[in-house]
Amino acid sequence: MKFRKHSDDGGGKVEVQMASMIDVVFQLLIFFMLTLKILAPEGDFNINMPLGAIGTPDPTQTPPMDLKVSLAANEDGSLNQVFFGGRGLGNDFPACFERLNFEIAQIAGSGQATGEDIEVEIKPDYNLHYRYIVRAISACRGRMEGKKMITYIEKIKFAPIERPAG
Amino acid sequence: MKIKHSKPQIAEADMTPMIDMTFQLIAFFMIVTNFEQTQADERIKLPTDRLARPPLQARENEVVLNIGFERNADGTKKDPNAYVYYGGQPIPVLQYGPRLKREFEISKRMYGEEKARDITVVIRADSDTPTGLVQELIKMGQEAEFTKFALKAKSGTGEPGEE
Repeated sequence: MKFRKHSDDGGGKVEVQMASMIDVVFQLLIFFMLTLKILAPEGDFNINMPLGAIGTPDPTQTPPMDLKVSLAANEDGSLNQVFFGGRGLGNDFPACFERLNFEIAQIAGSGQATGEDIEVEIKPDYNLHYRYIVRAISACRGRMEGKKMITYIEKIKFAPIERPAG
Repeated sequence: MKIKHSKPQIAEADMTPMIDMTFQLIAFFMIVTNFEQTQADERIKLPTDRLARPPLQARENEVVLNIGFERNADGTKKDPNAYVYYGGQPIPVLQYGPRLKREFEISKRMYGEEKARDITVVIRADSDTPTGLVQELIKMGQEAEFTKFALKAKSGTGEPGEE
């Protein structure tokens, strides 16, 4: 029997058209390069704020131990004073928040109440810059030990808004 | 005289290493691209804090509100009033209440009332934003029936001047 060779180009090598694939791949590459945004990682702090009306407390539930942190502002919105339960902790940012963190750590670690029973109420002046609030919340929330977070207090709330007169 | 016909020779470059490299680059950019923070507005200069760590489990649904100032290229404020950026459009903070109500209504229709109440309103405020305005925004959120609120900060050492 006689077999005929189907191709006479030697070896029958099939060539795939790569040009279109390379085009698409380059388009994808350019898309990802243009949409790339280098952003620092962000985290958040949960916060609560009581509604205007305060309900009657439930007698069956133990009320949480309430700690009050007040932040007074200067006219330009910078920090004037940090108060913890009426006691001034200074205005030397960020050392005053480290003192607040220390005070909170003492209460949280004293065994008077567990972290779940304690609630911190933060009362800022209306014009105080947001950066100080973040630091105050962070000082109440806990501290970092290496890469591990030690939590002091979970429940943090804002006091009702006090709008400036006029 | 006999003339020999030879086939024209085409020099073919080996494309394999280039394609390999290109695929590696695509894979790199695909991994690095963060599609989750698309709601973040670049005009907002968030404060930094040590305890601000990305959550281990991402929230299913959230409403992100960006509050900031119109700034010049050098970072100075063009306008002392803070705005909420809604799709890039600045809206005065105290006029944002109706939009939050609309947002809640849409969420209620999409996910049901119970799930809509569980949506966290995430506030990304500029470091210089007056805290009173952040509180006003939380109050407006409560009036719109949202119940959970969170304040954003950038991860960092929290030292002054790092922002």
